[in-house]
Amino acid sequence: MKSAAFEHLRAASIGEAAALLAEGETRLLAGGQSLGPMLNLRLARPRRLVDVKRIPALRALAADARMLRLGAGWTHAEIEDGVVEDSTRGLLRHVAHGIAYRAVRNRGTIGGSLAHADPAADWLATLVGLGATVTIEGRAGEQRRLAVEKFCHGAFATDLAEDEVLEAVELPRLSPQARWGYHKICRKTGEFAKAIGIAVLDPGRGLARIVAGAVDGPPVLLPESSAALLASGAAAAGAALPEEVALRLAHLPAAEQALRLVALRRALAGLAGA
Amino acid sequence: MRPRPVALTVNGDPATLLVEPRTHLADALREQLNLTGTHLGCEQGVCGACTLLIDGKPQRACLAFAVDCEGSAVTTIEGFDADPTMAALREAFSAHHALQCGFCTPGMLVTARDVVLRLGEIPEARLREELAGNLCRCTGYVGIVAAVQAVAAGRAPQPAAVPLVPEARRMAQPEAAAPAAAPAPRPAPSGGGNSLTERVAIAAPPDAVWAVLSDLPRLAACLPGAVLDRVEGDRVTGSVAVALGPIRARFAGSGEVALDAAARAGRLRGQGGDAGTGSRAEGEIAWQLLPAPGGSEVEVTLGWRLTGGLAQFNRAGLVRDVVRRVAQDFARNLEALIAGETPPPARPIGVLALLWGILRSRLFRR
Repeated sequence: MKSAAFEHLRAASIGEAAALLAEGETRLLAGGQSLGPMLNLRLARPRRLVDVKRIPALRALAADARMLRLGAGWTHAEIEDGVVEDSTRGLLRHVAHGIAYRAVRNRGTIGGSLAHADPAADWLATLVGLGATVTIEGRAGEQRRLAVEKFCHGAFATDLAEDEVLEAVELPRLSPQARWGYHKICRKTGEFAKAIGIAVLDPGRGLARIVAGAVDGPPVLLPESSAALLASGAAAAGAALPEEVALRLAHLPAAEQALRLVALRRALAGLAGA
Repeated sequence: MRPRPVALTVNGDPATLLVEPRTHLADALREQLNLTGTHLGCEQGVCGACTLLIDGKPQRACLAFAVDCEGSAVTTIEGFDADPTMAALREAFSAHHALQCGFCTPGMLVTARDVVLRLGEIPEARLREELAGNLCRCTGYVGIVAAVQAVAAGRAPQPAAVPLVPEARRMAQPEAAAPAAAPAPRPAPSGGGNSLTERVAIAAPPDAVWAVLSDLPRLAACLPGAVLDRVEGDRVTGSVAVALGPIRARFAGSGEVALDAAARAGRLRGQGGDAGTGSRAEGEIAWQLLPAPGGSEVEVTLGWRLTGGLAQFNRAGLVRDVVRRVAQDFARNLEALIAGETPPPARPIGVLALLWGILRSRLFRR
């Protein structure tokens, strides 16, 4: 249970990290809380790791009236504790608190989790639920922005090119009328989710999104239920759920679909009570 | 990799560790500084026995490489002699019989001290949740919870953090996030557990598709990550490269292929192993070519069994997602091949691909 040998470098900037990535057989190491176990189990044996924890740009924070830009290097615990602003009226802090265990949250980062793209991870589903955007930087400093739902291609697969680094996430600033519900089903506290349901409703922004997470691939947006939520409220959305889950989660066995339906219903119930 | 010096502070004293990059903090502390109070259980972040403070925050010493802790201040269980909270916890652990074998105790105490200082007095349910990342295999949780409760009683939580004020600036607006275009629903799979059926549409007539499906080397060329080494009668040998995020494996093995030209169906049974992850896979892949509007459809049924290192990671659903993506790549490659384009360069695919690869190598050999 010791990692295979690897070379370890520290990048001082995103550009430097991207250039090292481009040389191949290299993985970025942020908090390492998902990569670490894979290394120790020798499932992952990269030739080289590049530490990005100390890159100042990954700890940047910026905001305007409509959104918050959070550098990829902020830890789950810092979000949980409110060290950085939560523009989503408590959703970020709630989700952060439910990730793994405090000792893991103190080291693991939001950007690292997204780039790792474990389909059962909390942030991926949450950010799709919020309609968030990621900003990505390449070797020559060129930047691009991408909706999180387009960022994840599948289990552990993202839109990041070999020489690109996830720089930041851009989160909407929800209005005071906004409500959200989040429900995660785990067999044991802190483990990866068996099912995630998330519902976000912000009538002020015309934002209503219901998303099923931990579905083995990218989180699945349920547009019909979301539209029902915006037009007629949580009860109407709940009524639309069974049919849409059967349609859009058809790739899952029936029992797995039922689990997601339960998580989604509980997320909607949380929305009503929020 | 050659060991290199890493300077940090351990229990208040400067220390220099001479470590390989792969050495995690717990091993470095135990073996070079003889600080054996940091225990190692699972070495994958689950059990919590190695929990210690890095820069004042509880973290897993098995999931922090020593080279990554350069310049950090580390506090192990040996470094709390003068800490009043830890003194109270030690007293309470003794009074409440909160340890039996003692293996989990160092990590349990470090976590408990953080909970007491950070959250103060909290309800028992919350306390149990906070302690969930530290496993006691003597199952002595009742005593542990009672001890921590006794120390936390009457304590106030630490003041709420004042959020950092972000730099105010105008930013480009995100892409519209309102209910997006409906994603195309995926067809329902049949089979459950470690088997699945995937239908792949191919924009080419069945005759052309069967010509490739019955020609193993050409078939292999369409399978991402697959290499066909040898075809002897109905026996094939080869390998399949698999990539799942940071995981890379190459399963080498052999199998038997059976083709039924009349029914335009085939079947491949095989097994293979990957030395890197110490994993073995065996399985069967069956395929049936069907005419479909606009071309053909290949129905692929996959059944597999995975053992060894990768099996610890075998969340069945992940394989399903990998298979889906492999099937899409395969269909694209097959269409290109039939259209007379150069076969795409081989590249590694997901775990499913692995299984598929094995099957595929069988399949394609004829």
